Amino acid sequence: MRSPMRGRAGRALAALALVFAALLPGAAAPAAAADPVVLRVGTTQDLDSINPYATVEVVGFEAFALTYNLLTDFGENAEPIPGFADSWTREAHDVKFHIRTGMKWSDGQPATSADACFSWQLSLDAIKADTNVGLGYIDPNVKDAGVTKVDCPDPETMIVTTDDQSDRVFQTYVPILPKHIWSKETYKTMGDAKFTAPLVGTGPYTLAEWKTSQFARFVRNPNYWGPKGFEDEVVIQFFKTPDTMVQSLKSGELDYARDPNAQQLKALQSEPNVKTVVGAANGWTQLAFNTYGTGTGKTIPGGGASTKALQDAAFRDALGYAVDHKTLIDRVLGGFGDPGDTIVPPVLGQWHVTPDKPRAFDIEKAKSLLDAAGYKLDSSGNRLDKEGKPISLRLVMPDSDENYPKAAAFIKEWYGQLGIKLSTTVYDSDTLTSLLLPPEGGDPKANLAKYDIELWGWSGNPDPNALLQIFRCDAIGGTSDSLYCNPEYDKLYDQQLKAPSADARHQLLAQMQNLIYDQAPYDILYYDANLAAYRTDKFAGWVNMPSNGTPFFSYGTLNYTVLTDATAAPSQPPAEASAAPGASGAAASPGASSAPADTTNTSSGSNTALIVIGVIVALAIVGGLILANRRRTGGTEEE
Amino acid sequence: MGSRYLGRKLSQAALTIVAIVILNFLLFRAMPGSPERILLRNPHITQEQLEAVRARWGLDRPLIPDQLVDYIASTATGDLGYSLKFQGKPVVDVIADSLWPTVLLIGLGELVAITIGLSIGAYAGWKRGGVVDRVGSGISLILYSMPYFVIGMPLIIIFAAGLHWFPTSGMTSVGGRPTDPIGQLVDLGRHLVLPLVTVALGLIGSYSIIMRSAILETRSEDYMTTARAKGISDVRQLRSHALPNALLPMVTIIAINLGYVVAGAITAEIVFNWPGLGSLTVTALSARDYPVLQGVFLLLSVAVVLANLVADVVYGLLDPRVRS
Repeated sequence: MRSPMRGRAGRALAALALVFAALLPGAAAPAAAADPVVLRVGTTQDLDSINPYATVEVVGFEAFALTYNLLTDFGENAEPIPGFADSWTREAHDVKFHIRTGMKWSDGQPATSADACFSWQLSLDAIKADTNVGLGYIDPNVKDAGVTKVDCPDPETMIVTTDDQSDRVFQTYVPILPKHIWSKETYKTMGDAKFTAPLVGTGPYTLAEWKTSQFARFVRNPNYWGPKGFEDEVVIQFFKTPDTMVQSLKSGELDYARDPNAQQLKALQSEPNVKTVVGAANGWTQLAFNTYGTGTGKTIPGGGASTKALQDAAFRDALGYAVDHKTLIDRVLGGFGDPGDTIVPPVLGQWHVTPDKPRAFDIEKAKSLLDAAGYKLDSSGNRLDKEGKPISLRLVMPDSDENYPKAAAFIKEWYGQLGIKLSTTVYDSDTLTSLLLPPEGGDPKANLAKYDIELWGWSGNPDPNALLQIFRCDAIGGTSDSLYCNPEYDKLYDQQLKAPSADARHQLLAQMQNLIYDQAPYDILYYDANLAAYRTDKFAGWVNMPSNGTPFFSYGTLNYTVLTDATAAPSQPPAEASAAPGASGAAASPGASSAPADTTNTSSGSNTALIVIGVIVALAIVGGLILANRRRTGGTEEE
Repeated sequence: MGSRYLGRKLSQAALTIVAIVILNFLLFRAMPGSPERILLRNPHITQEQLEAVRARWGLDRPLIPDQLVDYIASTATGDLGYSLKFQGKPVVDVIADSLWPTVLLIGLGELVAITIGLSIGAYAGWKRGGVVDRVGSGISLILYSMPYFVIGMPLIIIFAAGLHWFPTSGMTSVGGRPTDPIGQLVDLGRHLVLPLVTVALGLIGSYSIIMRSAILETRSEDYMTTARAKGISDVRQLRSHALPNALLPMVTIIAINLGYVVAGAITAEIVFNWPGLGSLTVTALSARDYPVLQGVFLLLSVAVVLANLVADVVYGLLDPRVRS
């Protein structure tokens, strides 16, 4: 007898199959010719704000750089190029910028020097009041450029007066906002100003829609004065996990993926129509030693480092020999990164120097240096400080990077060989920031800087000053995480600010880099790499910015305006020479930063077929085993 | 049903919700890190600015009683405060935006899982030792033990990245999204398939296993023997006698599970970038967005309490012995 239940189940299944079929790609409405061309960019970093003065994330800078122009934008190698101003001349301390004739905001209003003066004046007012605009990431650029005054005598002229004659005024990260919209805001209120989409800007694409933690959509600015990219819209999608982002890139739903991890990047290297990039990052990962008291003799009652040894440059120097930077790059970073040394990353080529007296990994030398400096071993093999106490160091790190605990495990092992114990603790970034603060950080009771070593990282600006200032005495209580103070360094810093020429500045920067390397308040473990991957079957014309960086999320947004239609291009640009995957150090070096895309002919379809077959076979085996098992035991079950 | 029984259950539920509100408040204050410290990622912030931020968010006032009293009073009026992460948007709005994607995904997932899980379980229990029982129970057990991530990722790899049948993530297309209602519905449907299948697969196992045991129990009851002796057909025995009795314990399980619909399946939502309450919880947690976290947890707790209340009431209706 035919079971009515079976009949019903059959009908339900048939209905389900129909719905399923209706949702398959063929059933979806075909893309019409008028559909906008969308460039889709994926990142695991969430956009925190669309107010340029309230964002601290790289993706926030990308969003406002797409929407707004800087007075001078960044070129392919972070050099100043025309932006809101199309030309400029310098006369002693005055730089005269010419604002583009006839430029309009995306809402059609004229864009003039009044907008530029308004935007820069916000920072100047804050500097004068010894405070910041919003979260304080914009106005330090104006301060660092030595700007003292801005003046806009006519709609096409802006005169910026500086107290030195450096080129930093041309690398000032100040978005030019439309005065006709924000004129009521002051330096006190701008940080809290409510920016809502759609935004009005002069950049190539203006923010049209933002769904927190989901996506930000930018549409082409019809009044943009520069080159027009192939894409009509740019969508930055925020992912909670890089796994999904990478799969989206593979499926073609994304055109660009920022920061896949090393394993994912290696897997993507064999993916058809996908090109991987290993860009040198403008930053590093370091061990920062708590040197509080160095140069000042100060102590923190109930806080500070656990041993005075950390204030001794000879002790820190010896520890430097015990850490193998190359192993960390190979084993922790999967080969993507460069060994660290001085405090100006190599990506800032003209300012970086290698140390005069480099330390090579040598545990035995580290031991003998410690012995010579008066840090002897006791009978149990523990290294003692000069007070006769076994040295046991507390390493703290944030939970923001999966590589930090891996690096810490290696360091624990190496320090252990010296007779120095190391305990490691992971904190969330905010708690760790509070923990690192000394009394100078504001609250003398709560800020105790109770740690010995901090494992974390920094990233900088096109100018090295942002990274160099971390080691100034007045950074203690602020950005300083080694709490290092050396008046000699501060003097050099001030001198380089006023250096009469680039050569003179370079010499001073070289001295500063060597001083910090020799004194070793930091052990820079590695210069991180920026990993990225993009598809080559929809857009062509990808350019790394700078040439040893990645196409997006570096400096400026020029790259968004030069993309072309890959299907219309006669041929793909030739793949760049590449370092072998996994090759240490060199993988991220300039000129060897990109892996070839078409290294294999394996199609994703055949991969999928293999996976499908694999899953079916696995299910069949499992099912078979269950059946066999049931048959054996079935007799007793029926009892 | 007696009004005393109902009154007792209602007052229990109300008391539980009050306890939850207080616990909810204290729990988030006991967590390490503080919201204003987020701003300390800014190396240039001054102590004055920090204090201004604390004052603006009311974090400078004593935790108990000031902040607690404020919280209870505003919660009672449906004001859950303003989100720190979402540009000062009211928490109620933030939660409302994320609620319906979760209800859609998890609600449908539950529905599919209940239908398929109970059918497989009932059939497997009825035809014990048959092919459906052997294979179905085995697969149910495997699915029961698999986290959503393990189910979802292979689905993405095969059906999205490999075969390009469905999108990998999100709830709708962004940029170039269809403008007509039918197109938008199809677009939503296409985005829904893989997360829905993942959630349903993850839930089918438990329903199927429990239903199978319930059917097995009823099979040995005297009334089933009587039914068989009366010569009632196999199908009628199952539909009219075994199923209604086996469904009794399922009511409780389903009701409690439905309470969790609003919580979402965090890992499933993360894997598929589904903009629901699960994703919202993770976003709010990483931003130390206390008001949103409190709101989400309050909603979840109240939903579970209410679902339990419904289960109690329905059980009372179905089984008079419970009321006594």
